[in-house]
Amino acid sequence: MDSALDEFIAATPQPQRMGLHVVLALARRPRGAALLSRIPPLAQVGRALLGMERYEDPVVARSLGWDAEAVVARGRALRRAEGRP
Amino acid sequence: MRAYEADVCVIGAGAGGAVVAAELAEGGAKVVVLEQGPWHDPDSFTARPPQMLARLYREAGQTLTIGTPPIVLPLGSGLGGTTLVNSGTCFRTPQHVLQHWREDFGLEFDSETLDRCFARVESALSVSEVTPELAGRNAAVSLRGAQRLGWSHGYLRRNARGCVGSGVCAFGCPTSAKQHTGITYVPRAEKAGAQVITGATVREIDVRGGRVHGVRAGMANDGGVEVRAPRVVVAAGTIHTPLLLAANGLGGASGQLGANLSMHPATAGFALMDELVDMAHGVPQSFYIDEWARDGIMFEGIAGPPSYAAASLPLTGERHARAMRSYRHLAQVGLMVSDSSRGRVRMVGGSVGGGRFGRPLITYDLDQHDLARFRTGIAHMRELLESAGAREVYLPLPDGVQPEHVRAKDLRLMAFHPLGTARADADPTRGVVDSNLQLHGIDGLHLADGSVVPSSLGVNPQITIMALATRLAYHLLKRPCPS
Repeated sequence: MDSALDEFIAATPQPQRMGLHVVLALARRPRGAALLSRIPPLAQVGRALLGMERYEDPVVARSLGWDAEAVVARGRALRRAEGRP
Repeated sequence: MRAYEADVCVIGAGAGGAVVAAELAEGGAKVVVLEQGPWHDPDSFTARPPQMLARLYREAGQTLTIGTPPIVLPLGSGLGGTTLVNSGTCFRTPQHVLQHWREDFGLEFDSETLDRCFARVESALSVSEVTPELAGRNAAVSLRGAQRLGWSHGYLRRNARGCVGSGVCAFGCPTSAKQHTGITYVPRAEKAGAQVITGATVREIDVRGGRVHGVRAGMANDGGVEVRAPRVVVAAGTIHTPLLLAANGLGGASGQLGANLSMHPATAGFALMDELVDMAHGVPQSFYIDEWARDGIMFEGIAGPPSYAAASLPLTGERHARAMRSYRHLAQVGLMVSDSSRGRVRMVGGSVGGGRFGRPLITYDLDQHDLARFRTGIAHMRELLESAGAREVYLPLPDGVQPEHVRAKDLRLMAFHPLGTARADADPTRGVVDSNLQLHGIDGLHLADGSVVPSSLGVNPQITIMALATRLAYHLLKRPCPS
């Protein structure tokens, strides 16, 4: 998988998967985004996908106070130290 | 095909199946559990929403209803079922709901027995109230608004132990603090001798002469599993249990199988605050505001990391980008409706009574009563966030639409609590199972998941499902639930 978003889309069922690929491709291009804006529910899906992609970037997320790796590391350390499952 | 003999075969290891399996095994019954999903190792949890949606949810959490509006209905997959990915909120069944069940469904649940079942579940899951420190600053925003308005509110009770507020309950708890059934009841069942088999997709329920004799399941990598048992408990979840029954030509006599789907449709709004919020630091669902609970409107906490917030923010273009630059100052609150709308689950790609298991087709249209609840609820949401001191409020509405004018098709909804598709009713012409959750007319075949819950609860249902499963286990053991 190239990215967390790719993994997400790959796990969705058909026909949503095909639809998400199309919407994402359109949302990434100005003319495509303009086209999507005429169909608000699809525009919302495109926005959500682009948002997930952009803000999953660890550098962007850290700049907003969220460090997924640190959260996971803390969890792992706690589980090891306390014998949690 | 591997063959097992058991006293009870349990299908599914979520809120209902895991509980009934553990209680039965500890009570001395020989139990085999067949779970379709895998065991999820917490070491594989990444706290990254898109990845965890792909790995921990059926269909990456993108199960969709068809209707107005379409609703996203995320369902967990694996040992623990949806308890693996829920927010951990624990409410007992409200008294007025139990009264409704007595009066309208003939379900005489002895309140003393039910109380013991609730207490037993709460003890097993270490249920306790969230502390203000763990609730974090996102909760403080909404609770400040509620206090200023004089609205009834409080901190939620949750099944968590040693929680440090990782902020990703819905994406796999990295500390294993959330006491989902995959790390509580399933290990108890195994310790008591139950055989737990993952990756098993049950296709066939063997019913002959009006009673159940066992089940057969397909396995991904071998010839399958047959379990011969005089009792079978189906706990595949509200969406999939009716499909399994329908594929086997069971439970259809009343015409209620697959019908009566309620799901607590929900939405969420955001507020831009002057103060630092850091919404993902703390328990995402830590508080409730129940001022209008009797009207079917409930507010509960909701929050998540930036990628989650970016996907949920009801803004576009530069406004979206500007709000996300201020992510650390964003607060969020969820609105959940106790629905009167009812949907239906049907099977596509399978055959009713033909043993071929298809996919669910879920239809659900929001009725006028629920639309009115959303109109009122979203107006209250604005009032709440403004009272809390929001600089800007982002309601889940299209640009320029006021809450009082919103149409069903304008709403962007999710739902987390599907219930009722094989509802309990003492009258076999009106329900699928009786008050002991046994299929009307089939000896030994019981259900133990949200499908039996005959009405919307108005509160998160996991403890109701678990208490009913506990009650069923002790009914099968023919002994009272311990106090």
